[in-house]
Amino acid sequence: MSTIDPRIHQALDGEIPLATLPPELRRQAELLEAAAALLAAAPAAESVAGRVMAALDHPARRSRLVRWLVTPRAVVLRMRPVWSLALAAGVLLVALLPLREPPSIAAVGEEEGIAQFVARFPGARSVAVVGSFNDWRAGSIALEDRDHDGVWRGVVVLPAGTHEYMFVVDGERWVADPLAGRYVADDFGRENSLLIVRPVKL
Amino acid sequence: MKRLLLAYVACSAPLAAQSVRGRLEGRVPPASIPVLDSLVQVAAHEHLPTEPLLQKAIEGGAKRVSGERIVKAVVLNLGQLRRGQALLRRAGDTPPATPGEVVTVVWALKRGVPDSVVEQVVAALPGEPRSSALHAIADLVVHRIPADSAAGLILEAVRQGVRGPRLLDVSGAAVQELQRGRTHAEALALVRRELPNVPPPPPPARATVLRARRPGGGAPQVPER
Repeated sequence: MSTIDPRIHQALDGEIPLATLPPELRRQAELLEAAAALLAAAPAAESVAGRVMAALDHPARRSRLVRWLVTPRAVVLRMRPVWSLALAAGVLLVALLPLREPPSIAAVGEEEGIAQFVARFPGARSVAVVGSFNDWRAGSIALEDRDHDGVWRGVVVLPAGTHEYMFVVDGERWVADPLAGRYVADDFGRENSLLIVRPVKL
Repeated sequence: MKRLLLAYVACSAPLAAQSVRGRLEGRVPPASIPVLDSLVQVAAHEHLPTEPLLQKAIEGGAKRVSGERIVKAVVLNLGQLRRGQALLRRAGDTPPATPGEVVTVVWALKRGVPDSVVEQVVAALPGEPRSSALHAIADLVVHRIPADSAAGLILEAVRQGVRGPRLLDVSGAAVQELQRGRTHAEALALVRRELPNVPPPPPPARATVLRARRPGGGAPQVPER
């Protein structure tokens, strides 16, 4: 075991200036200072025990999880029959829903188009579109006012071409569409709205 | 006169009288059905479209109009169909005119397009659908553009290759110019300069198409275009 000259101790502790040491001792003192600085900058190494435990611990946890997943276990579900039936009905409904989708773009034929009806009838209880496309039958195309703001709307697939129509408000009041822009005498003293449906090309 | 009409109908080949009466039953006052049936038979005998007459009768019934007024309206429509057919013949259309062509001409006349202009359009579009051209002209006429000028613009568009429903975009563009405050002459000149490029209407949004449903109840009638 080598001993360090007490003057080096004094210089490292700051009791005497480093420059007062003989050259040989000064070099030793500088080397010791550099070594101390290196040790202070290096991160603290993980302990060996910690590293060993970490290596042993992970595979054990993973294998326990795998074992838990693959081991057969009995699952007991207590449920009233009425809830079981409701669950089955729900699953059936979800399975059948795609069959009741509205017509897709592909379902609109080449000789068909889309007609959008919008009309403002505040306070109306019902608004229907009646025309040559539905044999003038009230009720086959009912418009909707979902937010109850008095604006009634409907989107309908119709044969491409020209159609005459009117709105029937509350099942009795016949009104020409104020937004139609095209009208023709109905020969009963009023005017029908004229609708030109263009074939859909998307 | 009525007897003469009925005798005339009796001698002609009946047009599925049962089907006509079947469609009218429950839709119009029962007393008017025989006369309406006769009128439809007359139209069939003259190679005129019968569907518009049936539709007019059903429309009258739906609007709760009296049987007498329904018959009057159907007689009026029969006269309009005859006028349309005669006009097509005068314009050089090879008879018999298709039901759609006759109905198209009747719509144009009812919307205020003069006979001479309709004849001009029919002659300018031989063997082609004229529905859109006539509707486009009528759209301009109802905005007080002189029928000759309106026909001039639409026929110029046809000459430049614009066809079908795109002709409605031509009249639509002119109407837009009017709404911006242009005079008739300015509007027509502006659109004419843009031909054959007129902005098309935006296609319906996919969400709109997905919301669309078919009319319930009665089967949709294929229009006579």
